[in-house]
Amino acid sequence: MVDALGEVHRVLAPGGTLIDARPDSRVRAYAERRKPRGFERFGVVRTSRLEVANDRASDRAIARVVRDGLFKRVRRGRFWHLVPFSSLGELRTYLSEHLRFVHRAEWVVDRATRQRHSHDQFVIRRAVRYELLEAVGSPRDLSGPDHRVTFRN
Amino acid sequence: MSMASSDCICDVGKHVPMASSALRPTPEDELREWGGPTLVRGKRVLDLGCGDGRFALGVASLAISVEGIDPDPEAIAAAKRTARKAGVQNVRFATGMAQHLEYPDASFDVVILSWTL
Repeated sequence: MVDALGEVHRVLAPGGTLIDARPDSRVRAYAERRKPRGFERFGVVRTSRLEVANDRASDRAIARVVRDGLFKRVRRGRFWHLVPFSSLGELRTYLSEHLRFVHRAEWVVDRATRQRHSHDQFVIRRAVRYELLEAVGSPRDLSGPDHRVTFRN
Repeated sequence: MSMASSDCICDVGKHVPMASSALRPTPEDELREWGGPTLVRGKRVLDLGCGDGRFALGVASLAISVEGIDPDPEAIAAAKRTARKAGVQNVRFATGMAQHLEYPDASFDVVILSWTL
């Protein structure tokens, strides 16, 4: 992962921008029923352990290349992304097939409520994080053996 | 860390396809959240892990050139088909690994890792 970031630094012009964007597993995702106005929370959708570990490895990789002086942090933020589903069944199918999330939501409404609204439209509301980083220095600064950066996750 | 106030809803129709790009924010939404079109306008852009070209094709009209790299040959073939159909001239797709990029030093102004790292 850090090897890739080293290559990114090499092909970026000095002062160029690296944009890292991905789902934010540090923030809970939610299963919500779409209402005429707004949404009603039906459940919590947790990220799978593997994906949480992957996200942490990515965070560490970014921190490493910043520490090594290849990039400097410019700006970061987070926004909500809604994945739409035409029914609760479709949402469940998605969860059962998708690897990012655990396969079952933790419902915060009772079974009868879920059944009553099973044909309503639903969304999974999840956080997406992004960070803009600036390439520091010339790629040639890192080409010699004395400046070779070894990457370890 | 800032939290944008707007929500993004990707329009994927009645049934949500399992194709990953349909489950992501639109390029317009992502670009807006990151800071707007000026980030890529007139720039040489590399989209690493471009998948089916969702983002690369979405910003092609703004950038000077866009290169899309992905290890999945099927995704790259789909991206090329979409680019041909859309008549986009300034985007090129190729299979490849982020660890070994076949470009000279300083070839790009912007590198995007959108749902890649």
